[in-house]
Amino acid sequence: MGNPASRLKISLLIVLLVSVLHANAEEISYESTYKARQAPDMLIHSATLFTGDGGVVEAGYIKMAGGIIEAVGSGMPATLDKLDTALDASGKWVTPGIIDVHSHLGDYPSPGYAPHSDGNEMTAPVTAGVWAEHSVWPQDPQFPLALAGGVTTLQVLPGSANLFGGRSVVVKNVSARTVQGMKFPDAQHGLKMACGENPKRVYGGKGGPATRMGNFAGYRKAWINALEYQTKWHEYRGDLAHFESAPEEEKEEKKKKPSPPKRDLNLETLVGVLEGRILVHNHCYRADEMAQMIDLSREFGYRITAFHHAVEAYKVADLLAANNICAAMWADWGRFKLESFDAVKENVALVHKASACAIVHSDSATGIQRLNQEAAKSLAAGRRMGLDISQAEAFAWITLNPARALGIAERTGSLAKGKMADVVVWNGNPFSVYSRVEKVYIDGSLVYDLEKDVKPVTDFELGHRVRGL
Amino acid sequence: MRLFLFSLLLLSQPLFADSYLIRNGRVVTMSVSGMIENGDIRIVDGYIVEVVQDINAESVDEVIDVGGAYVTPGLFDSGTQLGLAEVEHFVGSSDNRVKGQPLGAGFSLALALNRFSSLVPMVRQEGITRAMVLPITGSEILAGKSALIQLGDNTPFSTNDGNAVHLYLRETDRSLAGGSQASALMQAVNSLKEAKRFGKNRRAYESGRTRKFRQSEDDLKTLVQVLKRDVALVIHVDRAADIETVIAELGTFNLRLVIAGGREAWRVKQVLAEMEIPVVLNVIDNLPSRFDRLGARLDNAALLVGAGVKVAFMTQDLYKDTRSLTQAAGVAVAYGLSWQEAMKAITVNPASIWGLENYGSLEKGRVADIVIWDGDPLEVMSAPTRLMIDGRWISLTTRQDLLRDRYSELENQDVPFGYR
Repeated sequence: MGNPASRLKISLLIVLLVSVLHANAEEISYESTYKARQAPDMLIHSATLFTGDGGVVEAGYIKMAGGIIEAVGSGMPATLDKLDTALDASGKWVTPGIIDVHSHLGDYPSPGYAPHSDGNEMTAPVTAGVWAEHSVWPQDPQFPLALAGGVTTLQVLPGSANLFGGRSVVVKNVSARTVQGMKFPDAQHGLKMACGENPKRVYGGKGGPATRMGNFAGYRKAWINALEYQTKWHEYRGDLAHFESAPEEEKEEKKKKPSPPKRDLNLETLVGVLEGRILVHNHCYRADEMAQMIDLSREFGYRITAFHHAVEAYKVADLLAANNICAAMWADWGRFKLESFDAVKENVALVHKASACAIVHSDSATGIQRLNQEAAKSLAAGRRMGLDISQAEAFAWITLNPARALGIAERTGSLAKGKMADVVVWNGNPFSVYSRVEKVYIDGSLVYDLEKDVKPVTDFELGHRVRGL
Repeated sequence: MRLFLFSLLLLSQPLFADSYLIRNGRVVTMSVSGMIENGDIRIVDGYIVEVVQDINAESVDEVIDVGGAYVTPGLFDSGTQLGLAEVEHFVGSSDNRVKGQPLGAGFSLALALNRFSSLVPMVRQEGITRAMVLPITGSEILAGKSALIQLGDNTPFSTNDGNAVHLYLRETDRSLAGGSQASALMQAVNSLKEAKRFGKNRRAYESGRTRKFRQSEDDLKTLVQVLKRDVALVIHVDRAADIETVIAELGTFNLRLVIAGGREAWRVKQVLAEMEIPVVLNVIDNLPSRFDRLGARLDNAALLVGAGVKVAFMTQDLYKDTRSLTQAAGVAVAYGLSWQEAMKAITVNPASIWGLENYGSLEKGRVADIVIWDGDPLEVMSAPTRLMIDGRWISLTTRQDLLRDRYSELENQDVPFGYR
């Protein structure tokens, strides 16, 4: 205890502990209260499974128990005991729940009037301190529409007007009174960053940035502040640990307990990124800007998890692969702004071909209702240019790959033993426009059933929007 | 000038006396002949002269065996911005509306169209050969005349501009006409009454003996055409109650009415069917995004057609969510519409709603707008492999294809990308 080496060890341990505590303190009061509903154990069999990790199982089964996937295989499981329910899904497809890595449901809800427009704090170029979850309206009728499209998990992001737009939240697509009741348990926050046109358009007349180089100076300035803030907290924690580890008499006599620096919400978020607790989701269209952003991340020692929108990802797909950065893309959107002028339909397939992590995202309350079709369009474009990609592989673009980008791939995103039973049953091949989602299970609980008209109806819809579709 | 017009007229006809035989197609005729398996189509001088099984290949310039592929009429988008803006965001490219000018119903966006837009080939790649370019509201709820365009190499680009006038009566349009849905509708009715008065007193107007009209001469002349039923009046309106009221209020004018948008049209399908008012839908837009759209639903088309209403589909958006016409039609099928009816909504129905007699189907005498597909045309994974407009094969290559090819081999770093 008395020797300097062990003392150092202990103070390091305390520093570490305090730092973890600090990291969590800010989140504890906003933690998820979501609890999976009790669900009967369930066997779905005789279906074609796209497992989400690129695999396909013909005439396969999936067994769900206690909200968890217990087994996946072909044919029938060896033991059929203690089973409550079995579903013969002959002629149907079973997939993991779809995950949308880029959504604004809840923070840009329907009806879309100004009092509901809570998606973008367009008051300063750096608003890293705002949290999308504080804007999410759980009664947004767009959530059930997305559920009818098989979406079980989504990331709700702040808008893209700012260099740093704020923190995202990952939610399960479940009916709840509060956003806390939707929050994906223990999912990391994301930080929305934005390249290019939007920040300079919005702030060009409001004190800048007015140019792309202004954007960059803005990012760098913020990261420099974040490093300084991080150092301040390190010093404080060191002082505190030193104080805590001092003998009792010394504490009273010599030192006052050190007081913490004042919290800064913007910088707290940025430090969260620097320390790996928060994932960077970077809205960025142009290839050259993605390359610049990668350099920026190197300058300050953080990692970019995904480029969103990434319409020019096909021009730098090799760079994305080498840096292990996902590209979240649309199937065929483009030309709505100048930085999307070079959008090509083969974008997703070309990124996939380069062995980078390809994601099809929606950024849209209508697009989120048919991400399977968007993946199908991307797949078809890729095949037409001669790329050999299977449907099962393409299904990863809307399941396992977005799960990777959200840091939840260990828990959902594919049909694998031990994962959350987030499962969709389709009445046909999901790559066909004619196929519909028939059943959706979230954590093993049946939350949508086309045939039996099981679906959540939001408070808003109740009584004045016709139930259905 | 007359000579110029004459040469324009010549140009609008196919330039060469070409004849083609499309052989062995799965021909979706959209006529009484239905689907013809192993069907052949003979095309001469831009027109279809025969659609049957086994046509003699002699006496045609080119035979194309499509090996059982789907062959459909060129598709028709009943609402687009094509030819107007290269990039949506640019305010300077908002050629589809007029603000701060004494111009409403008479505004003709056809004068702003760019047939060389790089978006034209992209839309062709969706199997679309004809489309309606819609005006949107600037400062008047009577927004102007739409233009009907053909996506081929011929001129003119706009073949029949001014075949419809567009009136906007959605929740978002009221502010242009007094702020109330009532004042907006009253203004529309008064505009028509004024045009009626103008039509009856043309001579007095010309010699300056009438009291002042609120609308410009262009507007009044256009509305006279509407009153004569030469031109359709397309009313963009969503809320069911508003659709009922509009039909009731405009009933006395005996107009050729078309409802566009119509997100809650399914609720008043009976009256639409009885009055034989067609509805132009954006199938995919099912969000309850405003209080006049709370009833929006994906089976709107199926419900309307089930009641006997004629529907056509529009994409409205060239750039984002609803840009694919065939996907929209496919979604309508997934939500209860028959495949045949969905095809009608993008071929024969628009041809009839917009008054194009020789289009929309593959049968004798029709203009040869023909698309050959690599699969079921409504499937999201299908695409056209060849496309003919006015009897001429039109390239399906886009600027995007060239970009794709340039960046398809990233591992080859020898040749700078600008030289590829």
